[in-house]
Amino acid sequence: MTNIGIYICHCGTNIAGMIDVEELARKAAKLKDVSVVKDYRYLCSDPGQDLIKEDIRSMDLDRVVVAACSPRMHESTYRKVLSEAGINPFLLEIANIREQASWVHSEKEKTTEKAFDLVRIAVAKVKKDEPLESLPADVIQRVLVIGAGIAGIQTSLDIANIGYEVVLVEKEQSIGGRMSQLGKTFPTLDCSACILTPRMVEVSTNPKIRLHTYSEVEEISGFIGNFHAKIRKKSRGLNPDLCTGCGECTARCPTKVPGEYDEGMGKRKAIYTLFPQAVPNVPVIDRANCVYITKGKCGICKKVCPAGAIDYELGDEIVEEEVGAVVVASGFDPFDPTSKEELGYGRYKNVITGLQLERLLHTAGPTKGEVIRPSDGAVPKRIAFVQCVGSRDEHANKYCSRVCCMHAIKNALLIKEHHPDAEIFIYYIDIRAFGKGYEEFYKRTQEHGIKFMRGRVAEIFEENNGNVVVRADDTLLGMVMENEVDMAVLSVGMVPRSDSAKIQKLLGIATGSDGFFMEAHAKLRPVETLVDGVFLAGTAQGPKDIPDTVAQAKGAASSALGVISHKVLELSPLISEVDERLCRGCGDCKDICEYGAIELITLDSRNAARINPALCKGCGACTVACCNGSIKLRNFTDTATFAMLEAVLGGEA
Amino acid sequence: MPANITRINELNSSFFKDFIEIGKKIFSEDMLHSVESCVQCGCCTGSCPSSRRTAFRTRKLFREMLLGFRDSVLEGDDLWLCTTCYTCYERCPRGVKTTDIIRVLRNMAVSQGHMAEAHRMTASYVLRTGHGVPVSEEVQKLREELGLSSLPPTTHSYPEALRAVQEILKLTGFDRIVGFDWKTMELRGRK
Amino acid sequence: MKEYASFLGCIIPNRYPGIEASSTRILGHFDVELVQINGASCCPAPGVFSSFHLDSWLAIAARNIALGEMTGKDIITMCNGCYGSLTEASFLLKGNKELKEKINGILSKVGCEFKGTSKIKHVIEVFSEDIGVKKIQEAMNTSLEGVRACTHYGCHFLKPAEMKKHGSSERPRLLDEIVEASGARSVDYKDKTMCCGFGGGVRARNLDVTLDFTREKLNNIISARGDCIVDQCASCHLEFDRGQVEIKKIFGQEFRVPVLYFTQLIGLGLGMGQHELGLDFHSIPAKPLLDKLNGGRR
Repeated sequence: MTNIGIYICHCGTNIAGMIDVEELARKAAKLKDVSVVKDYRYLCSDPGQDLIKEDIRSMDLDRVVVAACSPRMHESTYRKVLSEAGINPFLLEIANIREQASWVHSEKEKTTEKAFDLVRIAVAKVKKDEPLESLPADVIQRVLVIGAGIAGIQTSLDIANIGYEVVLVEKEQSIGGRMSQLGKTFPTLDCSACILTPRMVEVSTNPKIRLHTYSEVEEISGFIGNFHAKIRKKSRGLNPDLCTGCGECTARCPTKVPGEYDEGMGKRKAIYTLFPQAVPNVPVIDRANCVYITKGKCGICKKVCPAGAIDYELGDEIVEEEVGAVVVASGFDPFDPTSKEELGYGRYKNVITGLQLERLLHTAGPTKGEVIRPSDGAVPKRIAFVQCVGSRDEHANKYCSRVCCMHAIKNALLIKEHHPDAEIFIYYIDIRAFGKGYEEFYKRTQEHGIKFMRGRVAEIFEENNGNVVVRADDTLLGMVMENEVDMAVLSVGMVPRSDSAKIQKLLGIATGSDGFFMEAHAKLRPVETLVDGVFLAGTAQGPKDIPDTVAQAKGAASSALGVISHKVLELSPLISEVDERLCRGCGDCKDICEYGAIELITLDSRNAARINPALCKGCGACTVACCNGSIKLRNFTDTATFAMLEAVLGGEA
Repeated sequence: MPANITRINELNSSFFKDFIEIGKKIFSEDMLHSVESCVQCGCCTGSCPSSRRTAFRTRKLFREMLLGFRDSVLEGDDLWLCTTCYTCYERCPRGVKTTDIIRVLRNMAVSQGHMAEAHRMTASYVLRTGHGVPVSEEVQKLREELGLSSLPPTTHSYPEALRAVQEILKLTGFDRIVGFDWKTMELRGRK
Repeated sequence: MKEYASFLGCIIPNRYPGIEASSTRILGHFDVELVQINGASCCPAPGVFSSFHLDSWLAIAARNIALGEMTGKDIITMCNGCYGSLTEASFLLKGNKELKEKINGILSKVGCEFKGTSKIKHVIEVFSEDIGVKKIQEAMNTSLEGVRACTHYGCHFLKPAEMKKHGSSERPRLLDEIVEASGARSVDYKDKTMCCGFGGGVRARNLDVTLDFTREKLNNIISARGDCIVDQCASCHLEFDRGQVEIKKIFGQEFRVPVLYFTQLIGLGLGMGQHELGLDFHSIPAKPLLDKLNGGRR
C-alpha cells in the first residue's frame, strides 16, 4: 500500500501569485493513495523541510511529491529530507509548477489547472518509483591539467601543494603561456617575468607535478574519478635528458626564420628555445625549417653539442596517465586582424597588433625593449592605439575582450615614460577600467598627456613615407578627423585557441556561441563543465585578465580537489540497465549513446550490451533505440510513462 | 526655461514608433530595431565620404532619431546628403542597417512634404517617360551611329509599357506624393 | 552559347549607348548572346527612388524583373544601380511572402507577376564566371601593356555584402582581375572603394557635394599616376565622365582622365576602335590613353 504526501510550495509569490495553491491542495487531496497535502510559504527553508520529515515519521509516508521549483534547484535538498526521515530518497517526485507553470503563464485559473496536471503526473510516477541505492566508484587521486600558462600553472601548484599529484601537459616547448610573452603588467607595472618565472620554477621542482611539455593530449576516456589519457610527447629532435641547456646549438644554427613567440617581430633559429627562462630549458628542432632535416645538409648543432644530445631521428613518444579529474586551461589566441581589411593589417607595415607591440616592449624581446616601427626601424613618435579590433563587433566577435583597454593604456604609458615627447592617441568606444586599481591607472595615464579619442577607427590608409593615417569621427566634437601617425597599434581581442575544437571533442565539453568553453552555470558553477570531473580555468573559458585568470585557476583547483580528495565517489543510480537475457546484441544502443557508456560484451558466445554505470547519464536514448525492450531506465520505465500519460489524459491517478 | 535647455519629455516620443510602422512595410522589424543598439562609436561617420565635406553625421542623425528630434531629422538637409554608398552599413560594429534606416527616414520626410524640387523633377521624368534619365535627340542620333535602334526597346519604344508603369505609380500613390498633374503631365505648383 | 535577358536601365541606352553596343559585341565574341527585355523602364535608381517611396520603387523594380522573367532567361544589368535595385527588390520579395503578395496585387493590374525565377546578375559576373579570366586573357590581340588603370567598382555592386555576396567590399578583386586579364595594370589608389558621389539623390539635389566626391577620387587617381578609370557602373561612368566637365565649370579644376567601362577596355584589347566602342562619344577624350597605347606599339 502506498502512502503519499504532497507538499506545495508558494515560493513567496513566485508560485502563489499565479497559482491558487489552496485550490490545488484541495484537488490534490482527492487523488488516490494520497494521505496528506500541505502547502507552505518556502518549502526549501529549514521549517519547510522539517514539516515533510515530521509527516513522514508521524504518518508513515512512504512516498513524497513536492510541487515547487525545477528539480535542478532543490531535488537534492528533498532527497536528503527523505533520507533523513528514514525512507529511500528515490521515492520522491518533483512537480515543477514554477518554471513550467507559474512563471510562464498569465491566467491564474488555467495555470492552477495545469499545476494540478503536473501534480497528478508526479503522483502517478512516484507510485511506480523503486527504491535505489547510489553506486560507489573508486577515485584515482590525481589531476590532469591541460595547458601550462598562468592558469594551468596556478591550478597545478594549488593541487600539488595540498599533496595530490598533478599531470601537467603543455603543447609548447616551455611552460609560461601568453603571460610569458608580456613585458610589464597592468595596473602595477610589475614585470611579467618577475612574477611568473618563480611559479614556473616551482612547477618544475615540485615532486608532485609530472610535467609533459611539447606534448598534446590525444585521447581521453573514462569518467569522473577514472579518466585515462593518452599523451603524445612530440620529438624535440634531441634527448632532453642529455641536454644541458647550454645554448651552443642555437648560437651556431645558421637558419633564421620569423619567430612565432615574438609574433613575427623578430627572428629565431631552427633549433631554439622560446625565451631565456624557458622551463624546461631544452630547445626544439623546428623540423619544417631545419636544413639537415629538409635537405640532409648542415648538421652543425649535432657537431657542436657538447652533451651529444642531438638525435634528428628521435620519434614521438606516447605516455599514458590515469587521473580522477581534468582541468582545461588551454588559453586563448589573439584575434587575427587581417580580416578587418579597412585597417590595413598585413598590408601596411606600420600597422601592428597589441601583442606585437608587447614583444617590442619586452626587454628580452627582439628589440630588447626598444619600440621601433617595422617599415624602417625608426622610433615612432606618434602612435595611435585602435581599440575593439575584432571585439564588440557583429562582424567578428560580439563580446568585449576585457583586457584590451587596460593593455593599450599600459603600453601607452610605458612608451610615454620612455619617450616623454611621444604623442599617443587611444581611439576607443568605451574605456573599460573595471578591475581593482584600473580606473586609477587610467587616470594616471591621462595625466601623462595621452590623448583619449572617443570614436571607433573607421579606416587606416598609408602615406608614401610609411606613416599611416587613422580616420575616425571624434564623437565628442562631432568632427571627422584624420591623424597621421608613425605607427598604429591594433588592440586585438582574445579568441578561442585554434585547436579548441579538438579539446572540446576530446572531453565532450560544450562551447558557447563565442567559441569559448562553456561553464556549467554562468554565475554559480563558473569553473565546472557539464561533464562531471572536468573543470575550466583561465581564458579557455572566456577573455580574462591575469587576476581573474589566477582567481579562476584557484577555483578550478579547489573544485578538482573536491573530486579527487575522496577515495570513493557515489554515482547516481538513475541510469539504464540491460536485461542481458533478452538483449540480442545489435549494438543500436551503443551507437546512440552520446556518452560512450555502452559496450558490447560476449556472453555465452553471443553479444550483449553492458552499461558502464559511471558514464551513463540516464538520458534514456538507449531505451528508445532498443529493438526489443531489453534496456530500461531506472524509475523511467514504460509502465511509469503510461501511468503518467493516463493520469494527465484524464484517467485515474 | 533657459534657451539652451531641451526638455527630453517634450521631444516627439512617437517618432521611433512611426518609423517602425512605416519601415516594416518593406523591411524586417529586426533590421529596423537594429538602430537601437547604436553605441555612438562614430564608425559610420568616420567611414562616411559625405561627412568629410558636409554637415551630415550619421551617428548624430541616429541619436536624434532615437531621442525623438523629429523635426530636425525630417526637415533638415542633412538627411539627403547620404549617397547610399553602404560603407557605414558594412562596417557598423553593432550591425545597424544604417543605409536602409536612412531610406525609411527619407520616406517619412517625403510623406510629410519635405521633397526637394530637384527630386520632384527626377521623379516626374519617370512618371512622364518611364525613365529617370530619358533619351535625348542627340543620343538618338548617336545610337543610330552605333548601329542601335534610335529609341531603346524600353518604355521609350512601347507606349503600352509606359502606361503600365504609370498605372503602377498611380496605384502606389507616387503621383500624389510627388504632386504630378496627369492633365498637364507636369509637376503641380512648380516654382 | 549562353543567353541572358539584358536589362538596360536609363543611363546606358540614353546617355552611353557605346557601353550597350560594345558590351553586346564583346559578349558575342565570347559566345554570350543578349535578348532584349521589351518595355522595361527605369530600374528605378535604388538610392534615389527608394528614398522617396519604397513601395513605388519596389513595385516598379518588381515589374522590371517580371518582364525579364518572361524571357525565361536570367537577367543581366550593366549598371550597378540597376543591379542594386533588381537584386534588392528580388531579395526583399523572396524573403517576405506578404510583401510579395501585395506587390503582385499591384502588378496583376498591369498583367504581370514577380515569380523570382530569374537570377539577376551584373554583366561583370558573366565575364568572371561564364567566360573566365583565362579566356579573356587568351582572346586579347592588342597589347595594353603599360596602361595604368584605376578601377572603380561602385557601391551597389558590392554592398550590402551579405546580400550581394561578391566577397570583400573593402578589398574587392573581381574587376581588378579582369583589368589585369586585359593586359593593363591595375593601380592601387587612396580611397579606392570610396563612392563616386552620384548616388542617393545627392547629384540631383547637391551637385557640388557630388562633384566634390568625384574630384577627390580624381585627385587620388592622378596622385597614383593612373592613365584611366575603369568602372563597371553606368552611373559612376557618367559621374566620372560628365563630372569632369562639371568640376571644371564649378571648381575650375581641370582633369583629363579618360573613363572606360570595363568592356570598353576589353574591347581595346580585342583591337576594337574607339568609335565602335563609343569612346569618342565621351565627354573626356580617350586620346591620351590611345596615344600611350600607340606609342607603346611602336
